[in-house]
Amino acid sequence: MSVDYSKEFSVIEGRPTLAEVNDLIARPTETRPDRLYYIILTITVSMLLFGVVCLGFTFYYGIGEWGNNIPVGWGFGIVNFVFWVGIGHAGTLISAILFLLRQKWRNGIARFSEGMTIFAVMTAGLFPLIHVGRPWLAAYLFPYPNEHGVWVNFISPLVWDVFAVSTYLTVSLIFWYVGLIPDLANLRDRTTGKIKKLIYSVFSLGWRHSNRHWHHYEMVYLVLAGFATPLVLSVHTIVSFDFAVSVLPGWHSTIFPPYFVAGAVFSGFAMVQNVLIFVRKIFHYENIITIDTLEKMNKIMLLTGSMVGYSYAMEFFIAWYSGNPIEQFVFINRAFGPYAWAYWIMVTCNVISPQLFWFRKIRRTVPIMLIIGMFVNVGMWFERFVIVVTSLSRDFLPSSWHYFTPTWVDLGILTGSFGFFFTWLLLFIKTLPVVSIAEVKGVIEGAQVEHHIAEDSTAYRPRQQEDI
Amino acid sequence: MNNSHNETSGKDPNYWRSLRELSGQDPEAFEENANEFMKGVTDDFDISKLSQVSRRKFLALLSASVAFAASSCTNYHDKGEIIPYNKKPEEITPGVANLYASTCTGCRNACGTLVKTREGRPIKVDGNPDHPVNKGKICAIGQASVINLYDPNRLKTPVRLSDGAPSEIEWPIVDDGMIAELHKASSAGRQIAIISRIVTSPSEKMVLDNFIAKYPTAKVYSYEVFNNGVRNAAWRRSYSSGSFPLIQWDEARVIVSLEGDFLAGEGHTIENIRLFTKGRDGFMNTEFNRLYMVESTLTPTGIAADYRLRLKADRQLDFVLALMNEIAGRIGSPVKTPVTISLNDFVRKENLPAKTVEHMVTDLIDLSGKAVVFAGGKLPEDVHVAVNALNEMLGNTKLYRTGEAEVVQMPAAQKADWENLIGQMNNGSVPIVIHYNTNPVFDLPPDYGYESALKKVPFSIAMLLEENETSALCKYALPINHDLESWGDHNVRTGVYSLQQPVIYPLYSTRQKEAVLLTWASGDRKSYKDTVYHDFIMNNWEKGVYANANSPLDFRTFWFTALENGVFVSPKNASPEQNAHTAGAFQAASLSEIKPVPSGGSFTLYLKENYSIGDGRYANNGFLQELPHPVSKVVWDNYAAISPATAKELGVDYYDKIEVSLGSRKQEFPVFIQPGTADGAIVIELGYGRWKAGEVGSGVGINANMLMSKDARITPFIYNEVSVRKTSGTYKLVTTQEQHTIEDSRAKDAHLKRGIIKEGTVEEYQKNPAFLEKEEREKISMNKNPEYVGVKWAMGIDLNKCVGCNACITSCDVENNVPVVGKEQVNNGRIMHWFRVDRYYSGTPDEPVAFTQPMLCQHCDTAPCENVCPVAATTHSPDGLNQMVYNRCVGTRYCSNNCPYKVRRFNFFNFRDHFADGYYLQEPVEMLYNPEVTVRSRGVMEKCTFCIQRIMQARENAIEENRNLSGSDVVTACQQACPSSAIVFGDANDPDSIISKFRAHNLGYHVLVDLNTRPNITYLAKLRNIYPEV
Repeated sequence: MSVDYSKEFSVIEGRPTLAEVNDLIARPTETRPDRLYYIILTITVSMLLFGVVCLGFTFYYGIGEWGNNIPVGWGFGIVNFVFWVGIGHAGTLISAILFLLRQKWRNGIARFSEGMTIFAVMTAGLFPLIHVGRPWLAAYLFPYPNEHGVWVNFISPLVWDVFAVSTYLTVSLIFWYVGLIPDLANLRDRTTGKIKKLIYSVFSLGWRHSNRHWHHYEMVYLVLAGFATPLVLSVHTIVSFDFAVSVLPGWHSTIFPPYFVAGAVFSGFAMVQNVLIFVRKIFHYENIITIDTLEKMNKIMLLTGSMVGYSYAMEFFIAWYSGNPIEQFVFINRAFGPYAWAYWIMVTCNVISPQLFWFRKIRRTVPIMLIIGMFVNVGMWFERFVIVVTSLSRDFLPSSWHYFTPTWVDLGILTGSFGFFFTWLLLFIKTLPVVSIAEVKGVIEGAQVEHHIAEDSTAYRPRQQEDI
Repeated sequence: MNNSHNETSGKDPNYWRSLRELSGQDPEAFEENANEFMKGVTDDFDISKLSQVSRRKFLALLSASVAFAASSCTNYHDKGEIIPYNKKPEEITPGVANLYASTCTGCRNACGTLVKTREGRPIKVDGNPDHPVNKGKICAIGQASVINLYDPNRLKTPVRLSDGAPSEIEWPIVDDGMIAELHKASSAGRQIAIISRIVTSPSEKMVLDNFIAKYPTAKVYSYEVFNNGVRNAAWRRSYSSGSFPLIQWDEARVIVSLEGDFLAGEGHTIENIRLFTKGRDGFMNTEFNRLYMVESTLTPTGIAADYRLRLKADRQLDFVLALMNEIAGRIGSPVKTPVTISLNDFVRKENLPAKTVEHMVTDLIDLSGKAVVFAGGKLPEDVHVAVNALNEMLGNTKLYRTGEAEVVQMPAAQKADWENLIGQMNNGSVPIVIHYNTNPVFDLPPDYGYESALKKVPFSIAMLLEENETSALCKYALPINHDLESWGDHNVRTGVYSLQQPVIYPLYSTRQKEAVLLTWASGDRKSYKDTVYHDFIMNNWEKGVYANANSPLDFRTFWFTALENGVFVSPKNASPEQNAHTAGAFQAASLSEIKPVPSGGSFTLYLKENYSIGDGRYANNGFLQELPHPVSKVVWDNYAAISPATAKELGVDYYDKIEVSLGSRKQEFPVFIQPGTADGAIVIELGYGRWKAGEVGSGVGINANMLMSKDARITPFIYNEVSVRKTSGTYKLVTTQEQHTIEDSRAKDAHLKRGIIKEGTVEEYQKNPAFLEKEEREKISMNKNPEYVGVKWAMGIDLNKCVGCNACITSCDVENNVPVVGKEQVNNGRIMHWFRVDRYYSGTPDEPVAFTQPMLCQHCDTAPCENVCPVAATTHSPDGLNQMVYNRCVGTRYCSNNCPYKVRRFNFFNFRDHFADGYYLQEPVEMLYNPEVTVRSRGVMEKCTFCIQRIMQARENAIEENRNLSGSDVVTACQQACPSSAIVFGDANDPDSIISKFRAHNLGYHVLVDLNTRPNITYLAKLRNIYPEV
């Protein structure tokens, strides 16, 4: 097989016309929801409501409805928080970092993953508020001037969290919205409904596709990408400080920031990949979100998964190398103690399963990658469980050791968080273009001025066609 | 008008609006300028069209409606009348606690107490420092007994229980009816039975005597489930008369205890702990006593022991006889035991560690006269006779205290008395049974048949605090005063009279039980008044104690002095009537009467007292039910303790169930594999499994009392004819500490490896006092190390003196309003105790070496909890306290996660509401709360405060008295309660204070020092007085 590496493959297949792209991407927002949509929405809303009921119990009776205890002061609440913040990492990475790196394949998936980021961070943001003992006083976590003259404790990582997560949410939201403006204008121009028109008109901020607009838009987008890029790294770094700054063996570790960021990207890509597989199938976006794109995501998962696996190994090594018996005990206890089951679920899902992506065939086979992606999500949830719970359940004084068992309320709130996330996602896919129309148009073959025009552009992709 | 005119005239004449104006000649323009409003502006203004509501009226309506809205939005509830003192009582200053001396009657030790009252309500009971026996300390039960006063389940009025439905009746009706019935029974010559606890009060005895004088057919049956009867009977066999003496534990160099748990349940434990730990004072001494414990399961005394031997209770006789034979042989004593067992054979047969036995023998011989052998009260009489002979042989009788002894006011009922009574009850010749605050239906071995006999008694009365098994079968239940509402005088020690005075007027329509009998004995219900028993005691004292005391004071002064002190100690010779210990000549013949213990099967059932709820009488006390077992840390349950080998033999694991059967008596118990239990021993604690014990206590644990038999072959507590089998099902026992750590090889000895417990031997310490490696290196810290000027609070705990008695825990619970959470929540890891006593094992599961370690907030100088709190709700005070600001706390629990000692406690629920459907939210429990300590809401973190309320009180006093606050001004609740004074507290910046010396002590160490938390609790390392292993 001879491939001309001097040539870029088009990331969009089938050479759609600009109008076709418009039609294809705008269609979900212009058609009435079908039966399938309602069925799925019913499921997610039910999950959400179940979570709301469980939350009601929690608010009415107290955190005691959860499995938390002393010593395991943090249980599902913080596990879910870290998990969802992690999920929220792929979006900005794809839209900002890959944008700066000029990775054109991102254009097909950036909008969707950014949306997911926002919903995941929204979901995550609920947990710090609901996990506190007196949620009605959660405002104390914010530094606001008050008559008591009491300020927050700026050396507490939980305060850093508040800033990190809220900044991330704000910047992601703005970035996402700015990216949406040209598409909203496009939808405004297409729609016939009066109300829809009004809404789109308001939110497209008078966009007229003028050259001047485009010029400003590109600059803003670039600046925002620059803003968002460090945030991708900082948010999970700061979340990892919640643990790394403490004195608890199993938490107190300098490897945490890179390890958490890699893990977050890992889980975020897995979640994006999982959901996109369904979106591209249902909305017939196979040509926009191509197997090539999915394969690239799988490669990133392979990379970050290996980094996570390396971190696991390194944690053990450092525990041994430190010569600290308490540290050593914590890690041996993780792998062989009462929570060994959770640890081995984590290792299987996070370290072993992504290694299958070394095989090209697996990287490009949708059902298998879907399963591996799901494994990764399960594994990454368990990673947080292992870190949070096993370290706490057996710490310094053996007299205070205690096993943590989640209650049905814990599971209900976890279910509810998925319901919350997917409900937003479902509303998103029927109201806004899940793929950036403008950006996709920009990477269609022939959309950009090129030096050499291929005589027969199909020659580049015989391989892909046979794979589909 | 004038005003505008002035303005106009003052205007700069250069400004003009029209030529006409400029000229100033147009009258119209002039007029316009003079008017307030321009022309036309006010055309629409017609006063008649306006609302007729005046401005005043409008404002009045507005303010009224705002006030109305505001007041309807508040949640003001009418809380009843609040009446201030219009004339302040002489003794009460609001906000200042009053202390009254009184006496606890929780058990027959009758310790002197100091009751703390605030605004008239008792909130805490502590020991009376002036009391010569308990010296300012009382046990966990005494500490917790105060909640019984406010127990919502208390019986509030007399109740008639006949014909099913209970109905409330009035006291006069009860009195009239009873007096008539008593007369009838008495004149018919039929027995009136009074079933009482052991009588500790001379006045109470006189009440009973008066009663018998009035109704000659009355007979008193007094009993106590756990008693000294066997020990005293054996003493009389050995010495013809007297009673078993008290022991000078503090003088003993070697103590061999045979199943004698004298630090937790046998005898006066508060006194025993104090005296025993005098010989194990790591702070002051390098000389330690040596304790050998021979027991069937690990007890607090066994934990304190230097050497332990595991032996089933039925083998103790053979052991002590073999020991005697061996010692007699070595010292050439002519004493011969009737059973010739050689010690070597016995050691081999029972698989005892020969080296330990050898140490024991040589110690007893080498230190004879300074050693004592002590046998547990539940062992058979023959063991005690043999022990008496052994002590006699070794000259250990020098350690018997001669000047004082336990005083017995009234002999306890014997088996024959019970059988007689129950026989008569059954044939209907006992018309009246009065249960004088007792519960024989639960307490007596079931084969007496008391329960069915009671049903045949036409007039059965139960006088008691709250419903129990006996009252449920009685015709009348009469509510009596709680201790804190009662008068009394107690004399349980030669010459020591402890006075009991009420500190609160009875909360309900209750009467003092003695007053009820006095009224009935007077034959006239009108003779009752509140003070009837008070007058009786005073009268009694005037004639008795005062007359004997030869006091120079007049009686009233004498009486009030005694009342204020809470105790009167009479000169020893002034009370000749007291049957003090008299050591007559030893009757060598008593030895020959010893008969071998009947042989049995491979299992030996040993029934013993529990450490929290007494004989079951405190079952409805949540504080005590939730007190962790001092060894197993089980709460809210009893269980069958077996050894790991026995568990294997039976094929059971933790929480499996076994059926213990003694003939027709069968009961299933959950298994608890207790390290250190003798193989084949099944040890079960009594007092649990009550079925009518109020909302808290009913159905807690399993009834083992029903296994007891009046015709027991050995003693009612030891059965070797028992059969045991595994049954199906499990039963979850809840502990406050995980159980598996001793079996987990990775966690083994973690407490030693991590520097949580530091230990050594006395010999090491004598050779090199600084043997303990000091790890107090300067460490780099990111945080600024706080500097403390002035007072800096710190605590020291001597692990050598801690015997794990739990008094500190209860004292802390009551002082700091710590809630009861219930079994389920303890299982979920949410016990709220600020103060806990950790227990660790090293060694093997068969032969564990156990440690106890009080653990509470360490008040670290660089506290990890403080850094991580996002809202700064936990902060450091300038005097070294790690503080909690409850109303700032949002409950992130981060502080607890980051606390290496895990001493923080979180209000996962409003536990008062959550426990037993809000049982402790009912009236009048809130009266118990210490008003100086916030009652924490749900969602808030809490922890030990070093009793900051007491510190603040001391500071206020110091300011008031214009002096500097000194460390010794503050005594924390745990320190106050500790019977061995293992806890010291004070100002670490004062170089002369004990705490400073503690911190500089050779044995002093801090837990987890590597973390650089700089804790302020200094532990003194545990020393064991053992021989160096060769």
